[in-house]
Amino acid sequence: MLTFVISRLLRAGLTILFVMTFAFIVLRLSGDPALLIMSVDAPPEAVAAFREAWGLNRPIWEQYFSYIGHAFTGDFGKSMRDGRPAIDLVMERVPATLAITMPALALKIGLGIPAGIYAALHRNSMADRLTMAASVAGFTMPSFVLALLLVLVFAVQLGWLPASGSGSLDHAILPIITLGTGGAAIMARFTRSAMLEVLGQPYIRAASAKGVNWRRVVSRHALPNAAIPTVTIVGFMVGSLVAGAVVVESVFAWPGIGRLLVSAVANRDLAVVQAILMVIATWMVAANFTVDLAYGWLDPRVRNATAH
Amino acid sequence: MAIAEHTSTTSVAISRRRFFKLPFGVSLALGWLGLMIVVALGAELLTPYSFTALDLKARLSPPLLMGGSFAHPLGTDELGRDVLSRLIVSIRMSLLIALFGTIIAASLGTALGFLAAHFRGKVEQLVLMAIDFQASMPFMIIALSVLAFFGNNLVLFIALMGFHSWERYARIARGLTLAANEQGYAAAVRQLGAGPGRIYGLHILPNIASTLIVSMTLTFPEIILLESGLSFLGLGVQPPLTSLGNMVGYGREYITRAPWIMLAPASAIVVTTLSISLLGDWLRDRLDPTLR
Repeated sequence: MLTFVISRLLRAGLTILFVMTFAFIVLRLSGDPALLIMSVDAPPEAVAAFREAWGLNRPIWEQYFSYIGHAFTGDFGKSMRDGRPAIDLVMERVPATLAITMPALALKIGLGIPAGIYAALHRNSMADRLTMAASVAGFTMPSFVLALLLVLVFAVQLGWLPASGSGSLDHAILPIITLGTGGAAIMARFTRSAMLEVLGQPYIRAASAKGVNWRRVVSRHALPNAAIPTVTIVGFMVGSLVAGAVVVESVFAWPGIGRLLVSAVANRDLAVVQAILMVIATWMVAANFTVDLAYGWLDPRVRNATAH
Repeated sequence: MAIAEHTSTTSVAISRRRFFKLPFGVSLALGWLGLMIVVALGAELLTPYSFTALDLKARLSPPLLMGGSFAHPLGTDELGRDVLSRLIVSIRMSLLIALFGTIIAASLGTALGFLAAHFRGKVEQLVLMAIDFQASMPFMIIALSVLAFFGNNLVLFIALMGFHSWERYARIARGLTLAANEQGYAAAVRQLGAGPGRIYGLHILPNIASTLIVSMTLTFPEIILLESGLSFLGLGVQPPLTSLGNMVGYGREYITRAPWIMLAPASAIVVTTLSISLLGDWLRDRLDPTLR
C-alpha cells in the first residue's frame, strides 16, 4: 500500500510540473513577455529594467528554473490591474467558488447516483426512460442556456429569486441549481451504465442462482463493483468543479475564481491567469490522487497490481 | 461454400435493412441537421437582411409568435438588426468552427495514435504523456489560458478548438492499431512490402474508421458547446462576426425586455447538439463493435 501511495504522489508532482512547463512554454511562445506585460508604448528603459528584474536576459533554461522556483513558493508576480500579488487575488476568491460548487457537487451525487441505480434496476421502465431523457438533455443543454432559462422563469417571470449578484443565500440558489442539475444528469447516466455492466456479469447470476436474496445481491455484489467506475466520474467532477463554474459564475456575477479568470483573460492579466492555472491544476491533481487512493481502498486488484 | 456465401449475403441484406430503418427520433434529428446544413451553405441567399443592417425604427420589435410583423419573423435586437438573419449567419459560423475543429482534432489525434503504435518506445511514451496531460486538465481552462497568452483571432480560435479531445482519437487509434498489427491482414500487407503510409492509410484506417466516426459525433457537439460558451463570455468569436454563443451573450442583457434575442440562438444550440447526440448514439449501436 505504501509503494502504491508513493507512486501516485510522484505522478501527481510530475503532472503539476508538466502544467507549469506548459504555462512557461506557451508564455514564451506568445512573444516577448516584457512587451506583453508592460505595454507597447512603454519607454525602452522601463522595458530593459523589467527584463533585468525578471531575468529575461538570462539563458532560457535559467529562466525556466527560476520560474519553477518562484511558482513553488506561490510567487506568480503581481496583477497588472491593481498591483497586488496574483496569488492573493486568487486565494481570496476561493471561498466564494466553493460556496456554490460544493452544494452543487452534493446535488450531483445525491441526485445522480440514486437515480442511476434505480434506472438500472428498473431497466426500460418509465423511470428509466425519464432518467435517460433527462441525462441527454443535461448533456446537450449548455450551462449558460440553462442559467438564463432559470433566470427568465424564477427571476424575471416569478420574481422569487435575484437574477445575479451575491451577498445572501437567495443569490446562491440559481447558480447551485444550474451547476447541479446538468452534472446530476451525467452522473445518473454513468451510474446506470456502470450498474448495468455489473448486473450482466456471471457472478451476479451465480449469486442469484445460489438463492441469495436479490436485495443482498444488489447491495453486496453489484453496488461495490459498480462503485469503481462511478468513483472515477465523481473524481473527474470534483476536479473540474472550477472549470464548470467559469461560465455559471459569469452569468450570475458571482465573485469566484471562474469570473476572475474570465476577466483576467479578457484583460490579458497574465500573472493572474497563471496563478489560477496553477491553483486549478493543483486542485485537479489532488482530486485525481484521492480517486486513485479510493480505487486502492475499493478494489484489492488495484492495490496488488502496483506492488510488483 | 455456396451455402456459406448465401447465408452471408442474407445476413448482409438483413443488417442493411436494419441500418436503413430509422427510429422516429433519429429521422427528426437527421431532418434538423439537414436543415442546418442547408442554412449554413445557403446563408447569403437565405438571410432576408444583411446581418449587420440596422433598422433603428424597428428596435426590439417582437417576433411573429409574440405579436410581431412579417418584416422580422424572429424580431429584432437592440439596434434593430434582424434576429433571423443574424441567426442564419451565426449557425453557419458555429457549424463551420465545429466542423473544422472536429476535423483537426480527428486528424491530429489519429496521426499521433498511429505514430505511437508504429514507433512504440519513447515516441509512444511521449504521446501517452501528452494524452494524460490533456485529459487531466479541463479543456475550458487550457483554452482560456491560451486565449489570454496569445490574444484572440478567428484562425487561432479555430485551431484551438481543434485541440479539443484530440486525445480521444489518439487513444482509439493507438489501441486499435496495436490490435490490428496483431491481426493477419496488417502482417500480410507488411510481408508484401507495403510502406507504413500504405499500411496505415489504406488498410488500418478503413478498419478503424467506424469507431473514429462515432467519436466525431461526440466531438462535434462538444465543440459547439465549448465555442458557444467561450463566445458567450465574449472570449470567442468577436464582433462584428457573430456566432450562436455570441448572440446569446449579447441577448442576455435584454432578457427582461426582449427574451427572443437570446431564445432563438439558445434553442438552435440545444436542438442541434441534441440532434447530433441522437444520431451519434444510433450510429454507435450500428457501427461500433467495440462499444456494443
